[in-house]
This record gives sequence, structure tokens and C-alpha cells, in this order.
Amino acid sequence: MLSSFRLSMTWVHTWFGLVLGYVLMACFFFGSLSVFDREIDRWAIPETRYEPQALPSFDTMLLPIFKQIKPAEESYEHAQDEVEGPLPPADTMVPTHFTAYTTHRDPVLSMYSWFDVPNQPKDPNVDHVHVYGDATVDPRNGMLISSDKLKIGSAFFYPLHYHLHLDWKDLGYWIVGLAALIMLVALVTGVIMHRKIFREFFTFRPNKQTQRSTLDLHNLTGVVALPFHFFFAFTGLVIFAGIYLPVTEKMFHQQHQAHEKLEAVQTGLPHDPAGVAAPLASVDAMVEEARRRWAARGMGGEVGFLEVAHYGDTNGYVSIYRAGTDRVTLTGQGIHFRASTGELIREEPQPTTVSGINEWLTGLHLQHFRHWMLRWLYVFGGLCGCACIATGFIFFVEKRKRQHAKAGTSGARWVDALAVAAVTGMMIATATILVANRLLPESLPARGDWEQRIFWFAWLVALLHAAWRSAPVQRALISPAWREQCWALAMLCIAAPVLNWITTGDHLFKTIGERYWPVAGFDLALLAVAGVTAYAARRLARAEASAPASATSERATMDAAHA
Amino acid sequence: MSHVQHWLPLSSRIGSALLGGYIFVWGFSSLIVALNLFLGGDYDEGLTLAYMLAFLVFIVAFLWAFAATSLTRVWLILAGGGTAMTVAAWMLTQTLSAQL
Repeated sequence: MLSSFRLSMTWVHTWFGLVLGYVLMACFFFGSLSVFDREIDRWAIPETRYEPQALPSFDTMLLPIFKQIKPAEESYEHAQDEVEGPLPPADTMVPTHFTAYTTHRDPVLSMYSWFDVPNQPKDPNVDHVHVYGDATVDPRNGMLISSDKLKIGSAFFYPLHYHLHLDWKDLGYWIVGLAALIMLVALVTGVIMHRKIFREFFTFRPNKQTQRSTLDLHNLTGVVALPFHFFFAFTGLVIFAGIYLPVTEKMFHQQHQAHEKLEAVQTGLPHDPAGVAAPLASVDAMVEEARRRWAARGMGGEVGFLEVAHYGDTNGYVSIYRAGTDRVTLTGQGIHFRASTGELIREEPQPTTVSGINEWLTGLHLQHFRHWMLRWLYVFGGLCGCACIATGFIFFVEKRKRQHAKAGTSGARWVDALAVAAVTGMMIATATILVANRLLPESLPARGDWEQRIFWFAWLVALLHAAWRSAPVQRALISPAWREQCWALAMLCIAAPVLNWITTGDHLFKTIGERYWPVAGFDLALLAVAGVTAYAARRLARAEASAPASATSERATMDAAHA
Repeated sequence: MSHVQHWLPLSSRIGSALLGGYIFVWGFSSLIVALNLFLGGDYDEGLTLAYMLAFLVFIVAFLWAFAATSLTRVWLILAGGGTAMTVAAWMLTQTLSAQL
């Protein structure tokens, strides 16, 4: 495009990186938090602060709960939009599929039911529409956890990092997908731009001028964690490839159906119900048998995922998957049983090369393994990504703000304001939802919805504040919004653990003493953030105080040169 | 150089990278799925393989769109090539459906 290859690649890096960088910041930050999403859930829902539990008895505890689960309102309304004619009333719908899901870090069990819909789907390429319902259960006693309680880690931060909670036409997935592609592009172009890449491994000059040290840090964080950044953006795309490239729905519908029918015959797992009622044999016995079979293959461990398909039908079957705590690969070594008799239908063989690679890629991203040190490395890698993106913004502004100030244009100012909102503003919103979680009344209806609203509102306020305070950038100075938001963040990050103590009695001495790391660790992390941001705020204050002087002296030298 | 003269090729260049790149990747993925089926492979295997390669192809197509000198050639190869591969994949599936 431009006169040289490297100039063209630099252009792509700068401009695509800038525009999608704001999205990438959120993906990397909330992705990093998602590494400990279950622990954040414990912090946010104090009644679930107990040790992780294994799958409880299906026959005595889970089956009665599954039968009570009703279609979720949202899912019911969504299904209504997809089918011809009015749906039968939600109360009369009969569940046909059950799934239960847990991990080695979950004290609670997530349960889902699907309900078949008799209506004709509007889309001719869709065979069936289903309605879903879910419940969260304390496996120790079968008590339900209210759905008004928001799992801030696994149900808010985690989905935020891959679809931004923009559900309309999957828009959020597409924006994040584009951002991930641009991340990959930025990494490749970044390497092309800098030929002295090996040296950048070891170069950080914190006391040079801001522009130079920012660029050092940008290169350092980009290069040190380069494989990590590449891998996560890439596997993120592969995980959601079905949304980005729906070739099955658009081109191979017929072939896919034929494949599913053939697969059902080959595996012995019926694709459709027979329409003949049948009882359900003891699922607990099937779980025992599955455990025995895994143990015989040298794999111990717990059940991670259990599914009952075509419940109440003679074609029904039960699939039991291992929790993959002992390996990177996301594989369940599924064992399938006939639901009505409990006899074994199939034990899944080793995956083929292609799906083995795919399971390894997705497994490394989704981290079902039990390895705390690796988990922390993930957080470190993700935060390196955040630092890389943030310094990218700052370098962009530092490089241009003097020219823009001279030319009287405001580009650098608005980029800087958005950067404040994307970096400190995002963290303020994160800390605010935690504070709100501890302050809102326990019995508030739709409490979780209020928490989410407060999160977005706090972010919006941070954006407006950043825009309002950004005028000094136009005079080539530092925006005071950086410092002010750092202070706000530091205070919120102290308030959250204090409120946790006041409202639950779980102060740090207690949680550390009891070795209850999900809450102790998160409180400590919040205090660490408070410390770092307070330090940053003080450094910024010093820089602001010295900046006008140097700007004036720079002008004086310039004037002298002109004279 | 007026603004229009500057913006038009630039928008076209960005469009070729994003839209052209997407069409190319779509064609590439569907062709892999179709070829795999045609050669008697398992459907899911072909799809998984296509998905794992698709985004690597996209990065190359995207960067090439900005590196290449001729914008016409970029559009021709990315959008044209992508369409051609999609049509080829579709024709392959038609011969397969005839066998079903």
C-alpha cells in the first residue's frame, strides 16, 4: 500500500491496533480475571464459600431437582421468536435433556434442562428449537442458590471477555472476533516493524522520556509474552469458529444431517427419540461403572459433565465425562450407557489426530487442569497483554500530542481520553461492581441485574470524566484524569475487601488463617491493585507538576532556535 | 491530493482486507470441508481442520491486502478466489448429494 513493505505494516499495526485496541483491552483484562472466575464467584456469593464438591447422587438428589427446573423466561421468549405459532405455556413443557457440570474449583453444581418445542422452526435449516432452564445447587444438601445472585466471575466477567454482553445478532462475538484477528495481525506486524527483536527482550529504560520508556515497555510486554498472546487470540477464534464461519448451516446442512445420522448408527447413540416411554435406570450405578472403567485405563478423578439425552424415552442414553484436571487437552473420555437399562453402549476411543490437536488447543485456552502455578502464569500473560495494549495507546498519544498541540488538532486528546476510559475506567467499573455486590440489599429482586447496570454506569461515568478532564492533552500535557481515576480505583479496591469483611465477617486474618484462598487471594489481589494504583497516582502527580516547566522550557529553546 | 482521492483507495484497501479476506477464508474453509467429504473423510474432521487453518489463512490474506501494490489484484484474488472456491465447494457437494 505505502512505499515500502515495512511502512505498510507499520500503518496496519498503528491504526488497526488503535481502533481494536480498546476492545482487546477488555478481552485481555476480563480474560485474565476469568482464570479465577470460580474464586470471584465465591467472593460475590458468600453463601457458597465452602470447599469444592464432587458430583452428588443423581438418583436421590439431582433427578428431582432436574424435574423441577422450569424454562428460563429469556430462553422461552427467544424460542418464541424462532418458531411459527404460539409456544405451549412454559409450565406445561416437559424436559427431555438434562446436563450437570462441575469443575475441581466449583463448590456449586450447574444444572441445565432442555425442553422440546413442538412448533415448526421459522428457519428451514433448523430441525428443532429448544427452550432451556437452569439451576445452581449446593451439592451438600440440594438447596438451590437463587438466580438473583450474580456469579460475577463465571457469568459476568467471563462472558464479557468473549462477547461483551452484546447479544443482539451475536454482535459481541463478531466484534471480539475481529479484535482477536487484529491482535494476531498486530503481533505479526509488530515483529516486522522491529527487526532488533532479540534486543527488545532486555530493553527497558524507565527513566528516559515517557515516549521512549513507553515504547520499551510496549515492546517488552509484547515480545516476552508473544507466544502467549498469539496463542490466546488464535485459539479464541478457533473456539468460536462455528459462529464466525457457519459453513455447516449455510452450505452443508444436508451433508451434516447425513453425518449425524451415520454417527448415531456407528456410535449406537440414538439421534432422535423413539417416542416410546421408558424408565431411567440408576444413574449412580452408571457413574460408578464409568469411574471403574477410567480407573482401569489408569485415569482417576471425578465426573465433570453428565448428560441424560432423550429422558423418559426408550432411545434415552446417559453420557458421563471426566473432569480433565490432570491434562491440558480438553477431553472427557466419555462413556455412554443406555438410560433404561444402564448397559454400556460405548466407550469413546482415543481422538483422531485432527480432533486431538483441536482438543489440545481449546484445552490450553479453557484450562480445566489443576495446576495453580500455570493458572497464575496465565494471569501474568494476560496482564502483560493489557500492559502492551495500554502502552500502545500511550505511545500513540506521546508521539503525536506535541505536533497536534502545535497544529491545534485534538486527535491525541480523544485517543487519550478513550485510553483512560479503557484502562483505569474499565478497572473502576470492575471494582465498582464488587463494591455494589457487597452494598446492595441481599433480598433485592433481580439483584444481579442491578449489579450489572451499576458496572456499565460506572464505566460510562469514567468515560465522561476522562473526556471532561482531557483538555491539557491538547496543550501537550498529561491528562489529570489518569491520576484522578487511579486514586478512585485505589479507594474502591480498598473499599471492596473492607466491605467484604463488614458484610460477611471474612476478614483477611480469618481467611488466610483458614487457608480459604478463593476469598483471601481475591482480597489480597484487590489490595495489591490499590497499592500499585496509588503508587501510579503519585508518580503521575509528580510528572504533572514537572511537565508544565519542561513544556515551557521546550518552548523557550524552540523560540530561541527560531530567534 | 484531495481528501476523496486519498480516502477512496484507503477504504477500498481496508475493505479488501476485511471483506475480501473473509470471502477468501470462507471459500477456503468450505472447500476443505467439501474436499474432505469427497475423499470419504468424516464431516467433523474436515470442519475442525478447516477451522484450525482458517484464521491462519486470514492473517496472511489480511496482511497481503496491505502489502500488495495492485489493489485490483488484491480484490480479484481475495474476493474472486474466495467466490471461486465457494462455488467449487458447492459443486462438489452437489455431486455428493447425488450419491446420497
